[in-house]
Amino acid sequence: MAEVVLKDVMKNYGSLYAVNNVSFTVEHGEFVALVGPSGCGKTTTLNLVAGLIPMSGGDISIGNRIVNDLDPKDRDIAMVFQNYALYPNKSVFKNLAFPLQMRKLPKAEIEAKVMQAAKILDITHLLERRPRELSGGQQQRVALGRALVRDPAVFLMDEPLSNLDAKLRVAMRSEIKRFHHNLNATVIYVTHDQLEAVTMADKMAVMHGGVLQQYDSPANVFANPVNTFVASFVGSPAMSLIPLDVVGKGTDVALKSPEEGWELPLSAQNARKATASSQGTVVLGARHSTLKLHKSPVAGSVPGKVYTVEPTGDVTFAQVFVSGAVVNVSLEPTAPIAPDEEVFVEFDQQRLHLFDGQTTNALKAA
Amino acid sequence: MATISETAIRPVVRKPIDWWRWAGRFFLTFLLLFTVLPMAWMVLTSVKSQFAAMQYPPQWWPTEPTLNNYFKLLDPRNRIGQEFLRYFWNSFYVSLLTTILGVVVAVPAAYAFSRFRFPGRNFLFFAVLVRNMFPAVVFLMPLFLLMRWMGLVNTHGSLILTYLTFGLPLSIWLLKGFYDNIPIQLEQAARIDGATRFQAFLFIVMPLSTPGIIATSIFSFIGAWNEYVYAYTFLSRDHQMTLPVGIQRFFTEFATDWPGLMAATFMMSVPVVVLFLVLQKYFVRALTEGAVKH
Repeated sequence: MAEVVLKDVMKNYGSLYAVNNVSFTVEHGEFVALVGPSGCGKTTTLNLVAGLIPMSGGDISIGNRIVNDLDPKDRDIAMVFQNYALYPNKSVFKNLAFPLQMRKLPKAEIEAKVMQAAKILDITHLLERRPRELSGGQQQRVALGRALVRDPAVFLMDEPLSNLDAKLRVAMRSEIKRFHHNLNATVIYVTHDQLEAVTMADKMAVMHGGVLQQYDSPANVFANPVNTFVASFVGSPAMSLIPLDVVGKGTDVALKSPEEGWELPLSAQNARKATASSQGTVVLGARHSTLKLHKSPVAGSVPGKVYTVEPTGDVTFAQVFVSGAVVNVSLEPTAPIAPDEEVFVEFDQQRLHLFDGQTTNALKAA
Repeated sequence: MATISETAIRPVVRKPIDWWRWAGRFFLTFLLLFTVLPMAWMVLTSVKSQFAAMQYPPQWWPTEPTLNNYFKLLDPRNRIGQEFLRYFWNSFYVSLLTTILGVVVAVPAAYAFSRFRFPGRNFLFFAVLVRNMFPAVVFLMPLFLLMRWMGLVNTHGSLILTYLTFGLPLSIWLLKGFYDNIPIQLEQAARIDGATRFQAFLFIVMPLSTPGIIATSIFSFIGAWNEYVYAYTFLSRDHQMTLPVGIQRFFTEFATDWPGLMAATFMMSVPVVVLFLVLQKYFVRALTEGAVKH
């Protein structure tokens, strides 16, 4: 077990920067999720840590050892691949034994370690089978087993759950979490599913366009997104974002809809944030659970028009057009609401987010 | 519970005769006869005596089958046997070396084309195909001059080199398809598990590409085994001849010994047919690999 430090890590293909100046530290025993949309550089970052592709710049160290020029085999890591990458011509036993054989361990020790790993993952009855004779979940376990037989310093996981069906994914999610807890392993986990990151990770690194946007605990990322990208990426349904103009001065500041002309007065705290915007425009962000719908105007509400209503059982989501943007609101399942209805959306001044309309960064009170 | 089985109440429908289907069957039968009859006649003639083979009207079925022709060919004590065995050995030796060298070159070449991005990759890849766009005879004189310049005329080396230029492009193409289908993550996993790049190739990729290697080997072997024109041109000494040339020369020197010729031809086709039958499942897999997603 060891800590992993990335410092100014770069990877470019010609003028395309797949990973651009990424720095973060994974503490010993921490579970870090690299998360972002496809093409954001998260898998490339993982491959750089693994040493599967050469870096263009920066430093990576694993356990206080700079590993920039080390072969993958010398980095003391294990990796679980999205397609599991089980050796199709080897039995499960031989798949698990391969990393140990490559390290020239004595036969008896290999056998003992494989049996131990198989026991932990409950795959002892599968040892003689070939990978293609296994179900997706079983293949997943074997892949995990092959990673853990060797007791590596760091586990790298590249979207290990995305090939499983929805039900199995939830089950394996908690198993991997448990696995991390039991082994106290250092894990770097790549996923495009923010829910996986939020539920499993101690910290999440949100990436976009090769750049690390925010690196913090899931709770902090959720509560204080640093920009509109993170705000819209983390959380389901996503945070609703409405671009608005700032009008007024001092403490008497309101947000004005450039399309519909209504004004939303701000609290003193929010007013200070709004006046700090660079171009006099802001993006107002609000999570679905902080919003309320009214049939008639109340103080601090703005008009909107219902677009769709999506009941999910526990909770019903309404999508409401407000100033040309789609706003998600969660409602009681019994709420009497229909598409095309005129409604009023009330914002919670304590829990709304303000982002700069120009830079998209979160605004701080000046 | 109902006791009437479902088949009992299924209505009887008379199917109309599908003429296209029958036309297809007829055509396939014709094709089968067209390919099999010459071979059958070859085998039948090879067990006749010289006299029986020349009879008119022909003996459709040999009245006195004899294996004498085979004994004669395989008996190293007489001249015919000596020469036939020598030709057989020459052919085998040339084909085997062509095959081995072909695999040794094609495997790393195909792997490189499949895995690495290097300047001129596409150009080189299509360049290997250019050779196959011309009929083989076109290269006869240029290659002959080249071999003479290198002092290789009248050596088996000239044949092996020539056969390699024919066999390699197809081998490389076939094998590249195989390597393309082996997920790169397998090698990455092996490298993380403690293998060097070469070990990952040796322990993980090679076993998976065995069918492709076998298929390309058969291709090279058969190509070299059956080749006639180049062997006829490049070699002039009796003791160097390969089977296709040797048989033809040997049996036309005096009067044509038809049963003997047929026996020799049959013997010549045995290795190819055996190879093909034993390894045909790899062969088919190699040609269809990548056609559909598994």
